[in-house]
Formats: sequence, structure tokens, C-alpha cells
Amino acid sequence: MKGSEPLEMINSKDRITTPQTTIVVTNFILGTGILTLPRAAAEKVKTPDIWLTVILGGIIAMIAGVIMVKLSQQFPERTFYQYSQEIVGKWMGKLFSFLMIGYFLTLGGFHARSLAEVTGYLLLEGTPKWAIIMPFMWASLYLIRGGINPIARIFEIIFPITVILFLLVAFMSIKIFEVDNLRPVLGSGITPVLKGIKTTALAFTGPEIMLLILAFMKEPNKAGKAVLVGITIPLFIYVITVVMVIGALSVDGVVTRTWPTLDLIRSFELTGLIFERFDSLLLVVWIMQMFTSFTINHYAASLGLSQLFQKDIHPFMYGLLPIFYLISMIPKNINDVFKLGDMVGNVALVLFGFLPLLLLIISKIKGRKYETNL
Amino acid sequence: MKMKKWKSKIRKIGKPTDENENKQESASQASTNQFTDDFTLNLEVVRKELGHNWDVHFRDFIIGRTGIEACIVFVEGLSDKDLIDKHIMTSLMADFSAEYQQEEPYVKESLSNQFIKNQVLSISDVEEVHSIKELASKVLTGSTALLIDGLSHAFILGTTKLKTRTIEEPVSEALVRGPRVGFTESLSDNTSLLRGSGDIENLSLVKFQVGKRSKKDLVVAYINEIVDPELVKEVEKRIKKIDLDNVPESGYVEQLIEDNYLSPFPQVQNTERPDRVIAALMEGRVAILLDGTPFALIAPVTFSMMLQSPEDYYERWIPGTFIRFLRYIAVVLSLFTPAVYIAFISFHPGLIPTKLAISIIGTRSGVPFPALIEALFMEVAIEILREAGLRLPKPIGPAMGIVGGLIIGEAAVQAGIVSPILVIVVALTAISSFAIPQYSVGITLRILRFVAMLCAAILGLYGVVLFFLFMMSHLVKLKSFGVPYMSPAVPYRLSEWKDLMVRMPLMMMKRRPKMMHTKDPLRKG
Repeated sequence: MKGSEPLEMINSKDRITTPQTTIVVTNFILGTGILTLPRAAAEKVKTPDIWLTVILGGIIAMIAGVIMVKLSQQFPERTFYQYSQEIVGKWMGKLFSFLMIGYFLTLGGFHARSLAEVTGYLLLEGTPKWAIIMPFMWASLYLIRGGINPIARIFEIIFPITVILFLLVAFMSIKIFEVDNLRPVLGSGITPVLKGIKTTALAFTGPEIMLLILAFMKEPNKAGKAVLVGITIPLFIYVITVVMVIGALSVDGVVTRTWPTLDLIRSFELTGLIFERFDSLLLVVWIMQMFTSFTINHYAASLGLSQLFQKDIHPFMYGLLPIFYLISMIPKNINDVFKLGDMVGNVALVLFGFLPLLLLIISKIKGRKYETNL
Repeated sequence: MKMKKWKSKIRKIGKPTDENENKQESASQASTNQFTDDFTLNLEVVRKELGHNWDVHFRDFIIGRTGIEACIVFVEGLSDKDLIDKHIMTSLMADFSAEYQQEEPYVKESLSNQFIKNQVLSISDVEEVHSIKELASKVLTGSTALLIDGLSHAFILGTTKLKTRTIEEPVSEALVRGPRVGFTESLSDNTSLLRGSGDIENLSLVKFQVGKRSKKDLVVAYINEIVDPELVKEVEKRIKKIDLDNVPESGYVEQLIEDNYLSPFPQVQNTERPDRVIAALMEGRVAILLDGTPFALIAPVTFSMMLQSPEDYYERWIPGTFIRFLRYIAVVLSLFTPAVYIAFISFHPGLIPTKLAISIIGTRSGVPFPALIEALFMEVAIEILREAGLRLPKPIGPAMGIVGGLIIGEAAVQAGIVSPILVIVVALTAISSFAIPQYSVGITLRILRFVAMLCAAILGLYGVVLFFLFMMSHLVKLKSFGVPYMSPAVPYRLSEWKDLMVRMPLMMMKRRPKMMHTKDPLRKG
């Protein structure tokens, strides 16, 4: 097998298409959010208008996504790790890059831990966490050794399975859906809706991957479209989730549950079909989604280190596995896991909400200076 | 004339000791060297080279009333004796032209080379060789050598007659509808089947030789106007790298030219059907035919090709599509059913419908083994039965499968070793794996099924999902001659999904697969 060409050089064969970019963004966004978003948002909003909050959160994510695309488009064929040093100088650039690598590492650890929590809770009670996390990480390592192209391709396989099974499961739960649970719309005005925006916007973390994979795109000028569609798809899935969960369990019912979406699926049975319960299907889909999110984190962090140190990427891929594992083991219990998630979210807000805008402005000013100097 | 004969006797008998010694010396030298003017010496050398073989025959004779000696050498069984008798012996002995009857023996070029070739030998394939080695290799492949006194070279006459079987329906790829023609062991028959199936413009059949000791012909077939020249170069490069004593079957070639020898998935397709080869060539692929085997190779392949049968195209598109869907379902069933059974029974009985769970657990109550052992027992039994059924004589084989399967299944349930549900599961997987048109892919799925079962036994449903992710990771990384194995499914090429899981009407499939980088992208015009 000749799978060992150095990947830090972006050669012409290692390119991804626009649909592939879209699907990478979508898969990266979909993750823990499907299971926890209804509760997290309900805690903040406290009215049935959560779905409006989700839409607003999505729109914010789109704006941030477009800013990041604009920034990356200034530096064709180069990733954030490479061009950030050009904008703000060597040391600041390196600092930002390390922050970003740290972010991907923490997020990956968070994903691995959530997977272990849910799997241990629903499928493998009593199985040690390392036994769940380790084979998962090996699968990720095996995949990303092939570079960005196999990653994009496997996402393309997982994506339709996710959508089909998710929609199937979601519409099965229509049986216990109560429209009254969603009323009144804007009963307490717009304020509660705005309160939850930060939470829902954080469910859309994922477009930041555009800072890196834009460099791999065959048609980087279509990146804007890719990121918009890439956010719209999870937006739909989130809205459907929130509407279904709130509609079935009501706001009060949602707040008290750890994994409200799973509880929804577990709370009804359909007789007459082969399966009466569909949580196994949802779990299968969800494990695959966690896999996609984790592999992206793993790849993004390895790519960052290999580009910063200008070394072959493969040793970093192996070397990061124990780090991911250690990070995933830091939280002591499920509440700590969610705290870690919140922390990562806050970092993401600064790192990808404000920083790209700042960098974009600096690079524009610098660019103009450069032009006038000519 | 008498004078000449006497002379010849002197040459033969006179000074026997010296002559023999000289001859032996020169013979050993000449065996690698060229033929000389000396007929007896030449013959001596040839006898030394080939005479020890039981099946090599030497026939000395005098050319029609001239007194010139000649000899033919041929291999019994490989050469066509009819042809030798009627067109070589008769024309040289009985019908020999009267003009040349007064020719004198032992004189150099007494019989004109051109005359023999152009007026005497009524045979289509005549060439001249000058060295013993050349002569030996030709004679041993069925040609007849003719040595004539006075000529410093030998004629090689194409009298090869290989014993071939008649063209039959391929056993490994039976179809309900479609040509009942399969390749045979003869390379020339096989290439003629390709040429004969319609007047294909630009069909190139390029010959190579493989095997260092047993040299075999290998033909690379492609359509010049369609195929990507880079692909042909790559295939030829890999074939030239084959370095073996003997290449008995195209399976050897397949294993030596494939991309990843660690992969359980076949990266070259083998087929016995000329129509399948032609269809592949038309898509811009390359076929490899080897002498001595009815199995041709097609490269590059994709995973979807392994689940397609030529019949999909011969039937109308609706049944074709339906049958393709069935095959994809069969793949999923044959890979995952026992694994899912194990996962649900031993890890998550709560995830299956309550009534079903109760009935399964009820039937399993007497089973003393964990689900993995139970399932492994039945799966291994059925694999052994299948293998045994293959080896048995044809009339007994299927009976053995049915009887063995029924009896073992029934008895195992009665004895309380396995549950009846498991017998259904195992039967379902076995039948599903038969529904896959390519035998080699069927084997792959059978192997992977056991891996999936182990994963399920260790980590339950989570293990099955991980197994799926590992397998998919492998598949998306795999390539066959530069073509991604999972294309055109991923990366998405919507226009080519018309021929992936569905088989759209023929008039909608106007383009050749893009991944083949064909010179002529359109199927029409």
C-alpha cells in the first residue's frame, strides 16, 4: 500500500470537491448537539420558542462561516496555520495556531468522552471507558492516515445514512407529538429567544474547519456556498430535533433529562414493524456522527502540528492519540463533561467568532498598504 | 548418383574415431551456435538437444528421387500428423518436382531455399531458423522442423495443434439470459471470441510473455480509441514486473498486479464471459487474458462492479434495477445478520421488540453457550458444508449441501445446542452470500462476516458500528489501478449513479464512466 506520501504538501491529487466540503462541514457540526441541544437551549430559553433560537443561532454561525471563508480565500492553497503568521507576525501567528490545535484537541477529547458516556449508558453498561474510546480512536487513525480525500469520502457515505435514518426516526415520533407543547409562539416576547442564542450558536461550531480545508478545495471560490449549505443542513436537522423533542416532551420535561432526544425515541413503541423501538438506529447514526467529528478534530490537530513544525504528518497522528485520550478522561462525571463542552464552546466563540473578523480586517488593511506600496 | 552415395558413405563411415570425436566437440560448441553446412552434424546436434525426449520424433527420408537426405523433427501429440503427412511428407517425397531430380546432394544450396519454401511446402506458416536453441523451442511448442542436406538452416513449419475443448457455457457465471459462451483454455480461441463478437474497431490485443521457465503468452486487450493511455501503460508496467518461473493461472497475475495485497477485497475482476469483457472494454477498462485458463482479468474495478451481472443490462431496466437492489440488501444481510444477532442477544436484548425478545430468549433457554459460540458453531458448519459440496462429484454436491444443512440444523436445534432463530439467521446469510454474482467477493464477505461477529461479541452493537467504520475507511482508501474503489458512489457523481444501485434505461446512459478518463466520453456517435 502506498499510502504514505507526505500530506503537508497539498498536491493536486489530494483535493476535495465542493459537495465534499459541504458534507465535511455538516458532519463536523452534527455531533453531541443532536442529543443535548434541546435540553441546553430549553434551560436558557424556558419557553417553547427554542426552534426560533436555533434558527437565529444558525444564522450567526453562517455569518461567522462566511467571514472565515473570506479570510481563507485571501490566501489560496494555504491553511490558517500557514497564513496566520503572515497576518499578525510569526509569534502571534504561532500562538493562534497553537490555540487552535488546543481547541481541536479539547473538542476531540470532548467528543470521545460524550461517545463513551452515551454508549456506556445505553449500549454497554459496565464496559470500561477505555475499551470504548480506544478502538474508536484506532478507527480514526486508520482513516486519517489516508489524508483528506478518504476522510471526505467516508463522510459522503455516512451522511446519507444519517439523514435517512434520522428522518425515519424523527417522523416515527410524530405519534406522541403534541402541537400544544409548542404554543404559544413568542408568548413571552422576543427576550427569552435572544437569551439562548449563545447556546444554540455553539451547537453550530464546525464551520471553523473551513479555515483549513479551503486550502484543499478544487474550487475555492465556491467555498462560501459550501459553508452556507453545510450549515443549512444541520440547521434543518436541529430544528426538526428541537420541534419533535419539545413537541413530545414539553419544555419542562426536556430540562430534567440528560439526553432528551434519546429519551424521546425510547418513549414510544410502534407495533407491527420489525423494530418497535428505534433508539438503536439513532445510536448507530449518532456513533457514526461522533466518528466523523472526532476524525476531523484528529486530522485538523495533526495537520496543524505537522505544518507548524514542518514535519511528516503521520507521527503526529499517532502521537496525538494518547493526548486525546487523556483529555477525554479529565472530566470526572457527566456534568463535568458538559462543563468541558461549554468551555470549548466559549473558546470557540472567541477563537472563531471574533478572531477571524479581526484577522480579515488586518489582512485587508495590510493588503491595501501592499497595493499602495506598489 | 552411385558415386555420390558412396561418397556419403565414406563421409559417414570413414575415419570413424576421429570424426566422432570431432563431432562431439563441435556438437557441444554448436549447440548454442548456428547451424553449419554439414547436414549430419546438424542432425547430430539436434538429436543431442532433443533426442532424449520420448515424445520427440525424428523421421529421416530422401527427397523425391534426388537422393538428398532430409529429416523432420516433431513432437508426438502437439503436432498435427495429418498436416505433416499430407503437406510435408507427400510434397517432399511423392510429388517432388521432376526438374530438381538431378540435384546433387552435399553441395551447398543444391536445393534452392526459395524453391522449397515457395513451390514445395504447401503450408501457410514457414520460417527459417539458424540456431539450435530456436529450433528446440519451436519444436517443443508443436512446430515441425525440417532439415535438408545442403541448407545451412532449418525450416520451421507451423503444425501446432493444441487439444482444446469446445466452447461451453461458463460454470462460475451462469445467466438466465445472455450468450451461452465462455472462454476456454486456449488463448487463440479466447482472443477469437473477443474479435468475433462484433466488428470492434481498434480492438488492440498486445502480446506479452510471462514466466521465466515455462513461458506463457499473455494478451492485454483494450480499445484504442476509448482507453486512457496512462492506464494501459500502468497495466503493462505491472505485467512486465512479473518475475516467476511459472504462471499457471490468471490468479497469479491478479495477485502480482493488484494494488494492495493486504486488502480482503479483490481489486481485479475475473470472468469467464466474453460479453462481460467486451462490456468492460467499452467502458475504457483493460482486460488481461492468459494462455491456459478460461479466466480473463478486468482492471480497474470498483466495488459496485462486483455486484453487477451482465444480465442486469440484458433484462429490461425495471427488473434489472430490482435485482440490483436485492443484491445490495444481500450484501448487508450476509455481512451483518449474525453479528447483529450476537450483539442483540448478548448485549442489548432490551433493544429488540419485547415479544420477539421473549420468544428468542425462550427458545434459547436450553442453549448452554453464549451467542458467539452458538453462531460460530453454525456458521463454521455451514462453511464446511459449502466447501465440501464444492469438492464432491457434481451429482452429489448439492444433495450433500441440502441434506447436511437440514440435518445438522434440525439436529442441533433438537439437541439444544443452537436456537431455531439462529438457524434462520445462518440460512439467511448463506443464501444471501450466494446471491452475489462474483465468487471472489462472496468469499470476501464470508471472511468479513466472521470479523463482524467477533466485533459484535466484544463490543455489541457499538462493535458492529466500529467494524462498519473500519471497513468503510479501508474501502474509501483502496484503489484499483488509480481508480478509487468506491467510485462512483463517492465522491458523489450523480450522473453516474444511473448505473450504480439502479440500472436506468439504456438510452439514459450515454456517457462512459468518468473515472476511467476515457478518450471518447460518449457511448454513442
